[in-house]
Amino acid sequence: MSDLILSQKSNIRESILDFSKEYIVLFAIAILSIVTGIVEPKFLSVANMTNIMRQFGPLIMVCLGMTFVIIGGFIDLSVSGTIPLVVVITHSMIEPFGMVPALITGMIVGAICGFINSLLILFSGATTQAEALFITYGTMVVYGGLALLYTGGVTHYMTYMEADYSLFTVIGSGTVGVFSVTFLIFLVVVTALYIFQSKTYLGRTINLIGGNKTAARLSGVSIKKGIISMFTINGFMAGLSGIILFSRVTQASPTLGRGYETQAILAVVVGGTSLLGGKGSVIRTVIGTLLVILLGNCMNMLGVDVFMQNMMRGAILVIAIWLDAKRQH
Amino acid sequence: MNENKPENILSVKNISKNFPGVKALDGVSIDVQRGTVHGIVGENGAGKSTLMKILSGVYTRNSGSITFDSEDIKSTTPHKSMSMGLSIIYQELNIVSTMTVGENIFLGRFKEVGGMRGTHAKAKELLDSIGSTINTTTMVGDLSVSEKQMVEIAKALSFDSKLIIMDEPSSSLTDDEMKDLVKIIHQLKKQGISIIYISHKLDEIFDFCDIVTVMRDGKVIDTKPIGEITRSEMITKMVGRSIENEFPERPRNVGETLMEVRSINTKKLKNVSFELKKGEILGLVGLVGAGRTEIVRAIFGADRTFGHEIVIDGKVVKIKAPSDAKRAGISLVPEDRKLEGLILPFTVESNISLASLDKLTSKMGFLNKSKEKTMAEKHIKSLGIKTPSTKTRVESLSGGNQQKCVVGRWMELEPRILIMDEPTRGIDVGAKYEIYLLMKEIVKNGGSVILISSELPEVLNMSNRVLTICDGRITGEFDPEKSSTHEIMEKAFEFIDKGTKS
Amino acid sequence: MTNLTKGKMILNTMTKQKAVTAVLAMFIFMIFFPTNFFSSYNLLDLLNSASIYIVLAFGITIVIIGGGIDLSIGGTLSLGGIIAIMCMNAGMPIWLAIVCAVLVGAVIGIINGYLVVYQKCAPFIITLGMGLVLTGFAQQITDAHPISPKNSEFMMIGNGYIFGVIPNLIIVMLVVFVIVHFIFRYTQFGRNIYAIGGDYEVAKHSGISVRKIQTATYVLCGAAAAFAGVLLSSTLNTGSAIYGDRIPLIVISAVVVGGTSLAGGVGGAPLAMIGYLVFGVMENSMNMLGINPYAQEVIRGVVVVTILFLDSYGRKRKRETV
Repeated sequence: MSDLILSQKSNIRESILDFSKEYIVLFAIAILSIVTGIVEPKFLSVANMTNIMRQFGPLIMVCLGMTFVIIGGFIDLSVSGTIPLVVVITHSMIEPFGMVPALITGMIVGAICGFINSLLILFSGATTQAEALFITYGTMVVYGGLALLYTGGVTHYMTYMEADYSLFTVIGSGTVGVFSVTFLIFLVVVTALYIFQSKTYLGRTINLIGGNKTAARLSGVSIKKGIISMFTINGFMAGLSGIILFSRVTQASPTLGRGYETQAILAVVVGGTSLLGGKGSVIRTVIGTLLVILLGNCMNMLGVDVFMQNMMRGAILVIAIWLDAKRQH
Repeated sequence: MNENKPENILSVKNISKNFPGVKALDGVSIDVQRGTVHGIVGENGAGKSTLMKILSGVYTRNSGSITFDSEDIKSTTPHKSMSMGLSIIYQELNIVSTMTVGENIFLGRFKEVGGMRGTHAKAKELLDSIGSTINTTTMVGDLSVSEKQMVEIAKALSFDSKLIIMDEPSSSLTDDEMKDLVKIIHQLKKQGISIIYISHKLDEIFDFCDIVTVMRDGKVIDTKPIGEITRSEMITKMVGRSIENEFPERPRNVGETLMEVRSINTKKLKNVSFELKKGEILGLVGLVGAGRTEIVRAIFGADRTFGHEIVIDGKVVKIKAPSDAKRAGISLVPEDRKLEGLILPFTVESNISLASLDKLTSKMGFLNKSKEKTMAEKHIKSLGIKTPSTKTRVESLSGGNQQKCVVGRWMELEPRILIMDEPTRGIDVGAKYEIYLLMKEIVKNGGSVILISSELPEVLNMSNRVLTICDGRITGEFDPEKSSTHEIMEKAFEFIDKGTKS
Repeated sequence: MTNLTKGKMILNTMTKQKAVTAVLAMFIFMIFFPTNFFSSYNLLDLLNSASIYIVLAFGITIVIIGGGIDLSIGGTLSLGGIIAIMCMNAGMPIWLAIVCAVLVGAVIGIINGYLVVYQKCAPFIITLGMGLVLTGFAQQITDAHPISPKNSEFMMIGNGYIFGVIPNLIIVMLVVFVIVHFIFRYTQFGRNIYAIGGDYEVAKHSGISVRKIQTATYVLCGAAAAFAGVLLSSTLNTGSAIYGDRIPLIVISAVVVGGTSLAGGVGGAPLAMIGYLVFGVMENSMNMLGINPYAQEVIRGVVVVTILFLDSYGRKRKRETV
């Protein structure tokens, strides 16, 4: 195999870095859980486990959607604007049109928000992540502002509604056996997304665009389709996240979902999807989100206050990005 | 042996430079005398720019010695070279477009010349000395190419340069601007400054150079005073070589016209039209920057070009994007495989399937991964790609095998017209031969190949017909079996004057 | 004149004029409405409240011209005010407390610079992360409660007037303006920043210590952000961790409006000021007209998207004419 030009050294070094990056996350989860379990036995209780499972709700949806945008080499900050918009519109549709149409409308609104993002990026010729960052920041403000405008800043409580909103209650707090409805939704969604990402044409397109846009284009891959897909999916997932969030808190507040985008980026990066695009998977994001959730849970169990937690999250993001950068060079 | 010849400003002895897989310079020795204009000529890949980059400090040499102004230079950086008095003016001009003329001349040295006021005053002095009337407060980005060159020359003078290297300075100049440049060159010469002048325009070399060095394949072939060599001899030295590579027998299956290209006009290309016949290998010969890649990219729809027509089998075909070209049966193996051809961190499989994903997709949108693997295995076998598995990352393969992956990708489409842009660059002899055989296969089955290559023996031995491209124009059409290399290369150097000669 | 630079120059001039014309257009628009917009009280107030963020804009402009970007300025902003107040409450005189705050900002800048320049992390994401860390830290040390200074003189900085007429803030902003403008126009260091942002390789080949200077831009930005935070805390007489929330991207969009390109190498102090004034005047006039504050959000967002869209579009056109 003398034709294989790759010095043994760099192969091994790269493997070690890859290995440590990959499994550092799992290691961290394992060690953290063990330590917490020892220090605070309540961590291992059924109640806590259920609590952890419950958290696989709104946040994970956003994280999953964000995965595609990041694999494709872009980024999307607008989710924390899409979520409140979806929530307030959905809420307002329940009374006049019924739960199911309201739900469907909400999802469509989310997808449209993502679709608009993709059009802006396509037509402006934005090719870098930074450009996408700023444009989606702008749309975040617009979508969030529209939500505020729509409700006049007022939070509506579902419990004061006369119409039937039982669908949402089921989504928010229903259970099927041991599992929460949300968790089941999560399982279905993650399976669908995994299949999409690894086995479909569009999923592959998104991957290729993140890998080498030029080579993809010169091979006839439709960059347009890829960009539209990734952002629309992200918008749709933000919509789903909003519905679940809304169902949980039973109130339509125009400020829901704040800060989700940074948590999502954190989860995706920590899970091992590279910010540079082309590499990654929804499974990794699930693991990354799990770590983020576990981290929060452990810190709560250990009595760490909220702000220290925020700091830890930020610090982990910085470290994760740093490691990512080191791997590339 | 360190002879300190004071009349040589620069003495380069036995310089060698290796890049992975390629020997760019092989024992190059040149002496440049003080106060002379020393021309360097050679075709693409002869090693001229590598040598210049070593002199200016961008690359480090593997062996050999450099003596500049009687000082032995062990290693240098671009900044050090400039301060020593060795300046280089690149074709891609080393300027910051968003800053003024004065600032560009004294970039990083404003304090030394007395702040902004001093910068502009001294800059004006320097520009005056070469007869330029450019305002020193103009943004460099607003200047013409000729004016930008003046700024660079002024910059070189600001370092008290004793040797100025000019790398293809005339490619974007008008006739009048060229006259100004020549005037300045003579002026600098009178001041005792030496100039190394690299150009493809042989007329210029004969016009104002005192001595000329001919390079080829990383070696110096000859150095002669300009009066002792003719244009014909120069070209012979540039291209003549013993044919070490073996080529398969030239295919002879040429039939009717398959494709017509009509009037490609872009910034670079001027009214390019030609025909491609069935079963032929058409070679495009020309210097770097002549426009060959632009032509094929326009055909393939890779660039936004309008106004031209592609006619295949007598019918006009609309090609606005690569997907249109694919549908029309055209494939393009691009020039830079690492940047344009491959997705390096991805597997061999996914790189080969890159252009055929729709073939692998079911109606529901699902990719058939096992079909993908089979597709890859098919081409691995037929092209002899050496890889441990279809799932190996393509970046760990050798250059030749990487290129084969790109080729395999396009072979899957069974193209009628296969365009290959520098397909054998940087790959080993064995792999090269295999690619030649592949070209033969295609034309044997009635398809056609357009081959761009800077390796003359390759393109002359494989092509049935050769078009020479110079400065965006087709300057000639040849049968390589009937015409000499010399004749063909003459046309590749045929720059047409833009104005009338006085 | 090549098309490449001609296009860029036109777009640059257009963007520059855009800011000025936008401000003028808004002024003219307001003539037709009976409001207090043109009262000296209002105009002074406008400039006053904008001043803090203009100082911030100066800081971020330095980084952007040098080819980088810093999204952590929100965190640095809140931290700056908090540190100053804490130092004062621990007994330090005001001036020393301010110095401490600015130093903290500078240290943050050093960390940012190290990560971006020496560790080659993608600037916008790593500074985004740093911003989170800083905000979390600010929350941590204040226990998420706004803190007040014990020294009653502190609030005079932000709320006082010189000669009883001109607000302190405006003077401070003008002083910073003069300093930054001077650095950019007349010092070697400032010009080198433009060179690095204009063409990193050319600057490097000319012997400019690119890494040191780029790091320095982050240090200056951090210091400016901390200082702006001090001013803000003084004005509100409170230090809080939530101040920096949406700030970074508003200020950066403002700077782009003013004509500083995100690509680097172009821009300046006056452009930063004009750019922010577009947003400041817009907010003020919308308030005067009684436009729903939520609608204002939407309008602000639309303006940001449009500006950045055009910024990218300009680059796209440039690419295609080459």
